[in-house]
Amino acid sequence: MILIAKVALAFAGTVTAAGVYTLHDGVAQVQVDDNHGTHIHIWAPAAIVPMAMHVAPLAMHFTPRRELPKIPRDAQQAIPILRVLAKELQNYPNTEFVEVRDSDTHVVVRTVGSKVVVDVVDPENKVHVVCPLAMIQDVVESLNDINVEADDSKADSGPAA
Amino acid sequence: MNDRIRRIPAVALIAGALALTPISGSAQNSPKSSDSASHDRWLHVRVENPESKDEIVRVNIPLELAEKILPTIDKDKFHNGHVKIDHFDCQGVDFQALMSAVREAKDGEFVTVQNKEEDVRVAKQGNYFLVHVIEKDRDSKDKDAKRSKVEVKVPMKVVDALFSGKKDEVDLVAGLHALALQGDTELVSVKDREQTVRVWLDSKNVSD
Repeated sequence: MILIAKVALAFAGTVTAAGVYTLHDGVAQVQVDDNHGTHIHIWAPAAIVPMAMHVAPLAMHFTPRRELPKIPRDAQQAIPILRVLAKELQNYPNTEFVEVRDSDTHVVVRTVGSKVVVDVVDPENKVHVVCPLAMIQDVVESLNDINVEADDSKADSGPAA
Repeated sequence: MNDRIRRIPAVALIAGALALTPISGSAQNSPKSSDSASHDRWLHVRVENPESKDEIVRVNIPLELAEKILPTIDKDKFHNGHVKIDHFDCQGVDFQALMSAVREAKDGEFVTVQNKEEDVRVAKQGNYFLVHVIEKDRDSKDKDAKRSKVEVKVPMKVVDALFSGKKDEVDLVAGLHALALQGDTELVSVKDREQTVRVWLDSKNVSD
């Protein structure tokens, strides 16, 4: 009986610790509802995305160099912007930055606590995106790492014949 | 004893749930003190349709944020918070020399154009650089009827800062920095029949 209790305690502790770690960055949400019957509701712990991103460079070691992904130039230019934006927005919790409203469309971009929230409502669609800033920071850093690694690998392999 | 042991997993679960709640909650919801942000300077843009109150655009940007973001943009003529103006059709005009002349000039009107279509006034007044354009409504019987009215009021220190860099560049970051040191002021006002546009600076993080 005591053994079972110890196992249960260990299991509960592990689950709790895993839960705390998984949710410490908050939850990312994407909700899309349209008039054609599409209802997409995704809730994901924000920590999962950076975890997946960290695996990406590892996967690159097993990828032939010529097939290594390269982030498009436009996206590369956005990385430093996103990095600063995600960091600085932490200083402006609960702030509405953009609101566009006309007779049938309403768009709001705001921060709620340490999350960015984008709401778009038009007659056909309703979109609600919640993204923790910490997640954006992690993703941007990982993207940068991947890009640097791709650059290094391409440089190592020399100019294409 | 057994009873106590039996309760341990349940207690651990409850304790875990309690531990989890404040951590995830604080990560998601508890705002850091917004008082620190309230002291910042905010640039506001508001576009409204006076006829239809439904149409509105509101943009609220902290100048500090803009100052940090601008240097990270590297696209076309935009580099490190500067905009190259060599692509503009300057027609030989040396903007820095022009602005230097304006800065050193006394208050007064530099350009005044009045005709049937529009009135244009460019002036320096009380350390502000002013541009007023009134487009007249030629279809109206009232000869003073206005189609649109544009008023731009920029502090001279901001103008100086904008042109403080290289000859062929506008230093936006320096301009924003100078703007942040100014008091509450309305920078741009555009009014016509379809919409009104206001760009102003204050210390509130929400537009009026």
